[in-house]
Amino acid sequence: MMYPQMIAAATPDLTYTWSQALADLGQISPIAALTGFMLLAIITDLALPRGRRGGVVAMVAVTGFTYSLATAAYRWVYTTNGPAYHGYATGDSFALFFEVLFASLGILTVAISHPYLQRRGLREGEFHVLIMAAVIGMMVLGAATSLVTVFLGLELFSIALYIACGFVRTDSSSQESAAKYLLVGGFASAFVLYGMALVYGAAGTTLIPEIAKRIGSSSSGDPLLILGILLMGVGFAFKVSAAPFHMWTPDVYQGAPIPVTAFMSVGTKAAAFAMIVRVFAAGLPHLGPEWQALLAFVAATSMIVGNLLAIAQSSLKRLLAYSGVAQAGYILIGVIAGGKQGLAAVLFYLFIYLFMNFGAFAVVTLMSSADGDHDRIEDLDGLSRRSWPMAVLMSVFMLSLAGFPPFVGFFGKLFLFTAGVNAGYTWLVVLAVLMSVVSVYYYVRVLVPVWSPSTRSESLGASFSNWFAIGLSGAASLGLGIYPTWLLLAGQLGAVPITGQ
Amino acid sequence: MTLTAIWLLPLIGGLLIAFMPPHIAKYMAVLVALGALAIAGYVAFSFAPGYNRYQFIEAVPWIPQLHVFYRLGVDGISLWLVVLNAFLTLIAVLATPVLMKGASRFIGLMLAMSAGMAGVLMATDLVLFYVFWEAMLIPAYFLLWLFGEGDRPGRAALKFVLYTLVGSLLMLVGVIGEYVFTGQQTFDLAKLSTIAPSASIQFGLFFVFALAFAIKTPLFPFHAWLPDAYAAAPTPMLITFAGVMGKTGAYGFLRIAIPLFPDPTWLWDWRWVVPVLAVLGIVWGALMAIAQRDMKMLVAYSSVSHMGFIVLGIFSLNVQGQQGAILQMVNHGVIIPALFLIVAWIQDRTGTRDRSAIVGLAPRMPIMAGVFLLVTLAALGLPGLNSFVGEFMTLLGAWQLAPVLAVIGAIGLVLAPVYMLRLFQGAMYAETPYPKRVDDIYAGQLTLLAPLVVLMFALGLAPGVLTSLMTSVAQSGLAR
Repeated sequence: MMYPQMIAAATPDLTYTWSQALADLGQISPIAALTGFMLLAIITDLALPRGRRGGVVAMVAVTGFTYSLATAAYRWVYTTNGPAYHGYATGDSFALFFEVLFASLGILTVAISHPYLQRRGLREGEFHVLIMAAVIGMMVLGAATSLVTVFLGLELFSIALYIACGFVRTDSSSQESAAKYLLVGGFASAFVLYGMALVYGAAGTTLIPEIAKRIGSSSSGDPLLILGILLMGVGFAFKVSAAPFHMWTPDVYQGAPIPVTAFMSVGTKAAAFAMIVRVFAAGLPHLGPEWQALLAFVAATSMIVGNLLAIAQSSLKRLLAYSGVAQAGYILIGVIAGGKQGLAAVLFYLFIYLFMNFGAFAVVTLMSSADGDHDRIEDLDGLSRRSWPMAVLMSVFMLSLAGFPPFVGFFGKLFLFTAGVNAGYTWLVVLAVLMSVVSVYYYVRVLVPVWSPSTRSESLGASFSNWFAIGLSGAASLGLGIYPTWLLLAGQLGAVPITGQ
Repeated sequence: MTLTAIWLLPLIGGLLIAFMPPHIAKYMAVLVALGALAIAGYVAFSFAPGYNRYQFIEAVPWIPQLHVFYRLGVDGISLWLVVLNAFLTLIAVLATPVLMKGASRFIGLMLAMSAGMAGVLMATDLVLFYVFWEAMLIPAYFLLWLFGEGDRPGRAALKFVLYTLVGSLLMLVGVIGEYVFTGQQTFDLAKLSTIAPSASIQFGLFFVFALAFAIKTPLFPFHAWLPDAYAAAPTPMLITFAGVMGKTGAYGFLRIAIPLFPDPTWLWDWRWVVPVLAVLGIVWGALMAIAQRDMKMLVAYSSVSHMGFIVLGIFSLNVQGQQGAILQMVNHGVIIPALFLIVAWIQDRTGTRDRSAIVGLAPRMPIMAGVFLLVTLAALGLPGLNSFVGEFMTLLGAWQLAPVLAVIGAIGLVLAPVYMLRLFQGAMYAETPYPKRVDDIYAGQLTLLAPLVVLMFALGLAPGVLTSLMTSVAQSGLAR
């Protein structure tokens, strides 16, 4: 078979002016700014005496994330956004949406990891730098409009996270987690890369908008593309931790320090969904039936496997890992449904998942002590006596994850499911709601030790930054439920670059 | 804002009251409940009879992208249930002992649950209805679990929640399906009842909605959660839990399942399946009630039987039946709390609910015996007391649908005196009086019961007060 486009693609525009360079830098300014702050953090960490480093680097990191968030928000409102660097990256609203999401995640992560690292007596400086590097990688993924940039972002955040997982050098389970993540993650990256190579072979370009133009519905039977979609789909499913490629998730989550787990559970998932949407929905819209069938299978298995296996868990990290598998299944419904409605629902859900899932993990960080993480469900024993606001917040997170109104998780599901039914995937939605019933069982089970009578009453020792992160997540989990309109609107605007209306 | 206040006042009040010291909490809660009742009463007094549509409408865009509105309204179907909910909330708060452990939290959760039920009864937007429907489960779960009786209240609470959720989460698919398949992209109940999807779609949607309502009501054979939950529920909670929450299921049939799906016929006609189940429930509940030794369980199963009458009336699809059903919802809401209260008080005094251990109480507590007799007679449907009118009307309606249903349903009327009189006589009369001295009913308890008893007479003698505001609406429910 011939691919005549390949010849046409070989003549890029080689002139590159200063003004163009500045404009391009402007398009990726949230990422660029954060990179600057990361370098500053590294220098600070080197320059300051050992005792002072941690707090200052944390401040630099928070400032960097806040600056990046503000830049992204400013650009969302005031500037014209579009492709940059010859179409390899973009500053469009989709990218900005994810930049805001990841910057918020970064702030929350630093807020809970600063007291956590002190509590466990771990070095702080490197940790925050790693988180910043991972956030940069995730942002690159959101802004990527070329298969090359997609892979760049993917590897950037993965490598940072491999190290972060093994951050507790003295703890063998942390080491195990890092090793597993490295091996499985490398495996997944290889899959993605192989798939990309095949798609490149078929399309003759790595630029996603170009791929969309060149691959019409006429090439739907092309074995190169089918195999490419299959391989990329497998790699993506690994990254969003969707079944049947979820096996690494519980093990890695369990071994990694809790702030890293919290960060990964939200960040990796959101970044991988950004990647799926960019590559599949924006890049291969004409091959919808092919990848939709693949993702529908993955979504169905994820919902079943995730929810059923979560029941048996006694570790909160593992429970939330499996719940994350199930949630990935719900979100995939929106991706499969596609269109403005479906993608807006996906973006909405990813953003609220930040608050409810991160909040739940953040409460668990409070249980840890110098000797390690205490993440068994029984470790929450007596939380309502130890701190009732914390118990209320934990209940909000669990009920929101379970999809109870008026908390935001319900509205996320409502939007996803509406898109699903609208697109004709009623069977998938019915499966999702039936599995949601199962999920209520294990989410509520977490609340049993929280509210049961107990003899424990020692103080939680939550610091201001803990309260900030958890309180903010709780307020968002309730507030965005009572008034979800603006976030949904943001999701709709964020989906415009993909759907093109 | 009038209707908003009816649910928002108890909710905000409940959240604040949960953190007050018990004595102040109860005092404040009574004020809040009185306030909500006053507003509900105002709505009932200024309600325009003969106007078939929603009144006191509030409509604010909520999620414009999905055409979701914050829409409230009352009509002749919901009006009396809203009042009943506010009234029973007041009784429940008054019945809560200040000295119970965690009384403030208990009262706070009770008010929150009451707010959720008020919202369900007033919502006229499907999504809003669903939000309230699910949200009221949260306080109900915590009430059952944290304040439940018996050795494993947590299990009963979880069983209740999971049972209900199977139905209500499938209902979520129905809510979305109604939005998508009618092709109108609206959740407005008033508008949806004027457009119906094709018969096969109606068939499917009716099923998912009806399943949710059947579980909540509960309709035979979906009542398996009820014995555990009612056994675990503390008595003040039962006043609204049995008195109103079960009705939200029946109300759902009347508000959503029937008007939105006028012809749910594809493989078979669902409108025949439900009344048959209702009749089975009447007989089954009555037989189970006869077999109970535990007094509380006897009352719980009698409730299953009575709810059967209500659903039978609703699905008779005619004015008498549906009016009777609404009337019976109110009646049942007045009688069941009284029964549960009396049973609880007997248990307080004797230390048991086992019927074989409680005999000959009447000489020890003559006033209690008198009140108990009145309530018993009301529950078994004596003419002149409230239940008779409602049951008669539902059976009249059912007769017009199919005489055989009315005849089998009437068996329930025959069995009701059997279990009710056995309950009353067994506890109160015997050849020898109860061996130990027990106190008679306290004045405070009598005052608590008095409004319920007065209502039993009032509704029995002048049901027209209620039906005059219902008439047109039950018709409008059928008119389409």
